Amino acid sequence: MMTRINQLPTLRVDPTKKVVFDYKGKDYVGAHGDTVATALYYNDVRIFGRSLKYHRPRGLYSLDGECSNTCMEIDGIPNVRTENTLVKQGMKVKEQNVKGSAENDMMGFIDKLDFMMPAGFYYKTMHKPASIWPVAMKQIRKAAGLGVLSPDFEMPGKFDQIFPSADVVVIGGGPAGMSAALASADKGLRVIIMESRPWLGGFFDYRTFDYRDENYKNNKQLYSRARELASKVESHANIRVFTHTSVVGTYTNNLVTGFQIGKDNDKFTERYIEIRANAVVVATGCIERPLIFENNERPGVMQVGCVHRLARTYGILAGERAVFSVGHDLGLEAAIDLFDLGMKILCVADVREDGQNPHLMIELAKRNIPYLKGWVAAEAKGGKRVKGVVMTTLDGTISRDFDCDLIVASAGFTPLNGPLTLAHAKLRYDSHTNFFVADKMPEKTHAAGRMLGLEDSLSIEASGVIAGLKAALDCKLMKESYGNSDVDALKSEIDATVAKQKELPGPARGSKFVTAPVKGRKSFICFDEDTTIKNIRQAIEMGFDVPELIKRFTSAGTGPGQGGIPGHNLPLYVAKYLAASGAPPKPTTVRAPLVPTLIATYAGSKHIMMKRTPMDDMQRADGGVFRKIGVWERARYFSDDFSCKKEIENVRNNVGMLDGSTLGKFRIHGPDALKVLQRVYVSDMSKVKLGRVKYSAMCNDDGCVIDDGVVIKLAENDYYFTTSTARAGATIEWLRYHTRFDGWDFYVVNLTDSMGVINLSGPNARKVLQKITSEDVSNSAFAFSGYKEFMVKDTIPVKAMRLGFVGELSYEFHVPSSYMVSLWNMLKDAGKEFNIQNFGVEAQNVLRMEKCHIILGQESEQRTNLLDLGLGFLWDRTKKDAKTVGAVALRQAENDPTRFRLVGFEMENNGRAARDGALIVDDKVRGYVCTARDSFTLNKAVGMALVESHLAKVGTRLEIFEDECGGERIYGTVVPMPFYDPDGTRMKS
Amino acid sequence: MSLTITCPICGKRNGYEFRFGGEDKGPRPDEDSLTPQRWCEYVHLNECVAGVQKEWWVHKDGCGSWFTIHRDTVMNVEVAKPEADR
Ligand SMILES: [Zn+2]
Repeated sequence: MMTRINQLPTLRVDPTKKVVFDYKGKDYVGAHGDTVATALYYNDVRIFGRSLKYHRPRGLYSLDGECSNTCMEIDGIPNVRTENTLVKQGMKVKEQNVKGSAENDMMGFIDKLDFMMPAGFYYKTMHKPASIWPVAMKQIRKAAGLGVLSPDFEMPGKFDQIFPSADVVVIGGGPAGMSAALASADKGLRVIIMESRPWLGGFFDYRTFDYRDENYKNNKQLYSRARELASKVESHANIRVFTHTSVVGTYTNNLVTGFQIGKDNDKFTERYIEIRANAVVVATGCIERPLIFENNERPGVMQVGCVHRLARTYGILAGERAVFSVGHDLGLEAAIDLFDLGMKILCVADVREDGQNPHLMIELAKRNIPYLKGWVAAEAKGGKRVKGVVMTTLDGTISRDFDCDLIVASAGFTPLNGPLTLAHAKLRYDSHTNFFVADKMPEKTHAAGRMLGLEDSLSIEASGVIAGLKAALDCKLMKESYGNSDVDALKSEIDATVAKQKELPGPARGSKFVTAPVKGRKSFICFDEDTTIKNIRQAIEMGFDVPELIKRFTSAGTGPGQGGIPGHNLPLYVAKYLAASGAPPKPTTVRAPLVPTLIATYAGSKHIMMKRTPMDDMQRADGGVFRKIGVWERARYFSDDFSCKKEIENVRNNVGMLDGSTLGKFRIHGPDALKVLQRVYVSDMSKVKLGRVKYSAMCNDDGCVIDDGVVIKLAENDYYFTTSTARAGATIEWLRYHTRFDGWDFYVVNLTDSMGVINLSGPNARKVLQKITSEDVSNSAFAFSGYKEFMVKDTIPVKAMRLGFVGELSYEFHVPSSYMVSLWNMLKDAGKEFNIQNFGVEAQNVLRMEKCHIILGQESEQRTNLLDLGLGFLWDRTKKDAKTVGAVALRQAENDPTRFRLVGFEMENNGRAARDGALIVDDKVRGYVCTARDSFTLNKAVGMALVESHLAKVGTRLEIFEDECGGERIYGTVVPMPFYDPDGTRMKS
Repeated sequence: MSLTITCPICGKRNGYEFRFGGEDKGPRPDEDSLTPQRWCEYVHLNECVAGVQKEWWVHKDGCGSWFTIHRDTVMNVEVAKPEADR
């Protein structure tokens, strides 16, 4: 265990609060505020994992999770970015992608086999001969990939989603972002600021003096300036702060998405945040551009910010003897500060020949730190961790060895402009800063801070103020929301601030240096995918000249780090290599999510919202076995015998009751109501008679059946109709869509939830009904297909229909939902003497199947038209003026011999029923089984199938193929439909 | 996801509340002398403009009305009605 520097004012950990966690089965102790990565480092862990391809040892590098080096399995979740995850009491942490341990990985030998795996290895090697692929695939799958997830893994934690809105969203909580947020908020706008680290402060948070200023000692230290800004932001009534929140996407219309990691007391582990704003400020700053040299990812090679933050934020000195190889002033500043904190610094090499700030060089000299201008690290020495470094001049002619345990390496900066490009900003290469900068900004979007190339602290803050004011102006110019107030004053304030900023230092010159003068066989441009500089060269020599394609071919930048490591170096290197072409560097495309995001976070909380019928409680109390069917929970069975023998026999021989409340129920009325029905129903709806029930169907423009149900005429241009359960939600939309050009006058009301339905079926149904009403319900007064309205007990208005879906004497009662339980109980009481029973959806399914009544979605799929189902008799061809939806297509399909036909079949030799969905085959697939069941009523297995028309003739033998039948076929024979009571005497009696 | 749509009744709302109803192709043609070809084109062929197109939307989680908007299909944003269409 290392010693922590406990007294720094910049610390973000509390060393007095111990956090005990488990790493590979042993207890480790970190401090409150540590990330898993810093806690492990504090406990002397140096090798965090092994790389994807070559199983090279990997360790801390950036401390912001830009590569998969430090991904580990935490509490069973693989690929957790330990640099971004706070350590918690009792956490279980494991290394991944190792055979043995990260320290001694048995796959480590692969690193020596790199010559066998050139760029595009998979594309070039794995396709011939084809027979090798299955073998190779198994081995590669075993060796490749990061992390292991068991198929029965259940994600622990609580996930949530929020959709806040704001006037201005500021992405990035550093000095520029905070200044922008304050500037907007002071103008009265509602601001949201998002920061990926757990605190506001950005790159001021761990810095002390800006030594570039001669009078630095008189200035406020940067961390303290950051905290001053942060407390202003946090206490501002107009600003909502989301820390530990990464932005994952930005979209047109100023929509910003991200996710937040919960703090100790938060009710969520992670939550998805989607913000709709009127203006956006992007102040995401920079990450460091990696310096490339031999073994540049050896544990012990770290970026400047990583080493500096380990010391200042976490109190950990990353090494005892350090060599710096950098290309920017922040590197020099870090060397000075770390020296003052007690680190031995052997030398500071700077790839820049000029342009360094002179005050920084004076400070280095004051501390006797050797400064090598025009030098660079060429090779890290040491097998599993850094033991030394070879330094060289830029042309590679002179070199010097150093014994050290830490190489602090950084070539330059990379602006984090992902949020801008995702929102469709166009990038342009700027040769002064060496950055890709946004050329054409998205509407109402402003950039600020370091990503513009600014390094001077005052200038960075000023740029934030300007962006914040401009965002405020964007909002105020939206008259409808803000009334156009103070616009002129705001404009002049912006002009004044811009003028003032011009007096401050502008964008700094950026280094173009990418790689040391080495062959590059072990010089890694992408850590996640183990892509070397040599691989990139191979790809270019094969003819690839666009970074986007080289990225695909070499897979550089396609790993979990989302291009954070190679994203900037790749285009720079390619442009330099192809310098003769004179083309400027071209960036690769950035896509959301900008940082790896858990699918669980996107999924949010598990809110299952199922609809329940008015009979729900009672059906459950009666022993109903419920299933999710569409948007509803319905009682599918009433015993644990899922063949429903008793329920079926009771309906056939006695009387049963079914809760049919899920049926779609509508009323349409108004002067043009009939016209609407004529448009959407295939039948001639003008023939619907008062007191009668009309069964019909709706088709889509292809003639395919989308719905069926009954229509009842209540009065002239006033109809009540039902739809199938599944279609209820889309029916009104459908009616309005197909009449959208006509300007017809009609009203349609969805009564699905306000009306319930009871189906009373069986030979004794009339006897039960007669006991609760004085209405004449005899067969002559209330015949099959009849409709009646009557009151029960002078209170309950009942719409009663005589239908025959299950093939028996049957009544359907439609009543207001609030009366459902009362009416149900009356019928139940009345039926007691007959031993009336519940029946569920599955019993109904078998009963109607025996009668060959179809259910859409079971006896049909998307391509099944009205004629295929044998329902052509519903279609009225004479109403052409109605422009009935589907009629044109039906006319065209009428004589088409290639269409399927719905047939009934029974199984051969008393065989069991084929499974629903089984295929009808010969040497080809010829159709499929829609529904088939062992029928207790008929004492044989029967079903319906959709088959090619040549198989539709009665007597045809059907060969049936079931999943996993192992070549064993079963057989059926086409028989006439319906199977049960073909004359319909039972349902009409 | 980022799309907003202006419903003629409810105003500018989140795109989640609406369902797309296809390109505007005008009312369904008369059935007399309609060839299968012409019908198929009406139902299934789309212009798929990379740019501004007039299209139908329904405010499914709102007032339920069908209406047309103009949308830039490249940027996926609603745009003002073009001059020619006014
Ligand atoms: Zn609306």
